[in-house]
Amino acid sequence: MNTLPQAHPMSRLGTGKVALFIILASESVFFATLLVAYAALRDQNNWPMDHSLGRLTIPLLNTAILILSAIPARRAIVNIRNEKQPALLTSMITTLIVSLVFVAGQVYEFSHAGFHINDQAFGGVFFTLMGFHVLHVFAGEVFLVINIVRTRLGDFSSHNYSAVELGTWFWYYVIGVWLVLFAALYLI
Amino acid sequence: MTTHVQAQPKTEPYALGDFLSWIMTVDHKRIGIMYLITAFLFFLFGGIEAFLMRLQLAQPNNKVLSPDVYNQIFTMHGTTMIFLAVMPLAAGFGNYLVPLMIGARDMAFPKLNALSYWTYLFAGCFMYSSFFLGGAPNDGWFSYAPLTENLYSPTHGMDFWIMGILLLGFATTIGSINFIVTIIQLRAPGMTLTRMPAFVWAQFVTAFLAVFSIPSLTTAVLLLLLDRQLGAHFFNVAKGGSALLWQHLFWFFGHPEVYILILPAMGIVSEVIPVFSGKPLFAYGAVVYSMIAIGFLGFTVWAHHMFATGMPTMTLLFFAGDTFLISAPTGVLFFAWLATMWKGKLRYSSPMLFAIGFATLFLIGGLDGVHLAVVPIDWQLTDTYYVVAHIHYVLFGGAIFGIFSGIYYWFPKMTGRRLGETLGKWHFWFFFIGMNLVFMPMHVLGIEGMPRRIYTYGTGRGWEIWNLVETIGAAIIAVGVLIFIINFFVSIRKEATNEVDSWDGFTLEWKTASPPPVYNFDEIPSVRSRRPLWDEKHPALADWKMEK
Repeated sequence: MNTLPQAHPMSRLGTGKVALFIILASESVFFATLLVAYAALRDQNNWPMDHSLGRLTIPLLNTAILILSAIPARRAIVNIRNEKQPALLTSMITTLIVSLVFVAGQVYEFSHAGFHINDQAFGGVFFTLMGFHVLHVFAGEVFLVINIVRTRLGDFSSHNYSAVELGTWFWYYVIGVWLVLFAALYLI
Repeated sequence: MTTHVQAQPKTEPYALGDFLSWIMTVDHKRIGIMYLITAFLFFLFGGIEAFLMRLQLAQPNNKVLSPDVYNQIFTMHGTTMIFLAVMPLAAGFGNYLVPLMIGARDMAFPKLNALSYWTYLFAGCFMYSSFFLGGAPNDGWFSYAPLTENLYSPTHGMDFWIMGILLLGFATTIGSINFIVTIIQLRAPGMTLTRMPAFVWAQFVTAFLAVFSIPSLTTAVLLLLLDRQLGAHFFNVAKGGSALLWQHLFWFFGHPEVYILILPAMGIVSEVIPVFSGKPLFAYGAVVYSMIAIGFLGFTVWAHHMFATGMPTMTLLFFAGDTFLISAPTGVLFFAWLATMWKGKLRYSSPMLFAIGFATLFLIGGLDGVHLAVVPIDWQLTDTYYVVAHIHYVLFGGAIFGIFSGIYYWFPKMTGRRLGETLGKWHFWFFFIGMNLVFMPMHVLGIEGMPRRIYTYGTGRGWEIWNLVETIGAAIIAVGVLIFIINFFVSIRKEATNEVDSWDGFTLEWKTASPPPVYNFDEIPSVRSRRPLWDEKHPALADWKMEK
């Protein structure tokens, strides 16, 4: 079947990219509805979030770490475009390590939050939003690990690197969602 | 394209004995057929549940079902028909037809397509296993919180429902992404968006509706799961939660869902009516724009399911007005179908009968919807049998009639054999008459105040006669289903004729063999108009020449 000519794609984007855009759009609706739930519950409760700098130290550090991780994520695309496979490997491993530091920070933050998922509605909203973000971080990390293995196997070249691009774009999305959640939960 | 009619009788790709190759398949046509068969089996389950309810309600103070079992049965009836029957029936047609109609060899992601099917099958079996594992879900298909919290629903039925819905949402989402990418990326040369068959447009809009509405349902059931399993308080008002939150999240999914159920049927009818009228679809552009408009408006009307919750007057006005708006694009579709039939050479074969039945019954259901959009009337009729009448005229008279039109229309393509025409007509009339006997009296019962979801009722309210008529109607529908099943088995055992173009069709699926080879087309077709096959059969009258 593969030997038969395929219908040629109408658009210049690859099928993978179109699919990723739609997945992320769908994910965005998911996070948006969670934020609507947050807004609705916050509207009718005393919201116990403390805005002092001491309270915000770890979340702010985590935000900085996550934003910085965009640099090696971006480098991955540049490196493979220039056919630098070893550098690609380095940038993806760097992204992975930075993301693990972020997860460690989140674990610390969760265990020191001072409330639980079953204390009032607030705990439920906080841990649900944060928890689903961390799940997306894990998804991004799985994506990175697969790409690292594929790089070792020599799967990527300057003509064939769409999985690297998709992984990076997914990572940008994880960062973007974090910025929205950080603003909504800690700053407002 | 006419030489291969009986060229390869031995290589028919659908040899049922070859079981393993069906399990392993990633061919969109086989997956489509598996969707259709599985969904039809679930349709039978849902139908049996409906019939049990009608038996229980045939007479006052009846004791066929206990109250507890009755609750489980009506919950599973709604859940089954919506998530396990109509949606996957539409997905089955989409899978089978979209690649053929746009001139592609398969879906964009064939393995995801298989994953989507198997997830659906597992989720359906998983939900039904709850009947044997401590009781099925019993809070109705929209599962209002806090009724669904642990305190009020202590069995595991709700947990089965939640997990099943999560899995089905996953299956539908990846299936829809597959449709969108396929339609954007894999169209044959010349198959521009403005030349796509109306059915493909319907699937396209439906896929977008699913991708953007299912996340809201996912959120709702996840929050409920966290409440039930981890002791969170999203819907627990005493701990700062909100009961109304469930309804907003659920109906933000639930209303687009109505269009997810009906748009594919509208697409089917928009294919069948032109072919059986011997004319192109009237006002194609208006039809497509109306479908898109229905898709957008479908996202803005969810709170009309919540008129009785005590929302502010301005909110009520907004959602009522918005709901009236939706009838405009829907009306455009009706006029387009009527104008297509106008002065056409009408052929009243089974597909056409079901298509006309669709238009007739859906119109009644749509008008019921307009009544219910009037807030004071809704306050009077909400949660009565009037609402049940409305959704069944829309979803049984609408979606199911449209789907059967599609089954009669494309059966020859899928199997190389036609369904029997005489039995098909019997099937239609049993369905049409039975359907009206069941659901028309529900309008009366609703106005007389009979609430939905009660397991029995007392004498002396004037409800007895209508309930009895409804049960008789349900029996007539059941006979119709039996006629269809007999027709199916009689037809499938006949020798295949492998007609390529059974109905003198217009679209690309009628260009290739019946059933089509695995790769669909010997060579990828080129398209110059909305009716590529008409152009090929009538070169002098080709649409693209007329357009110039």
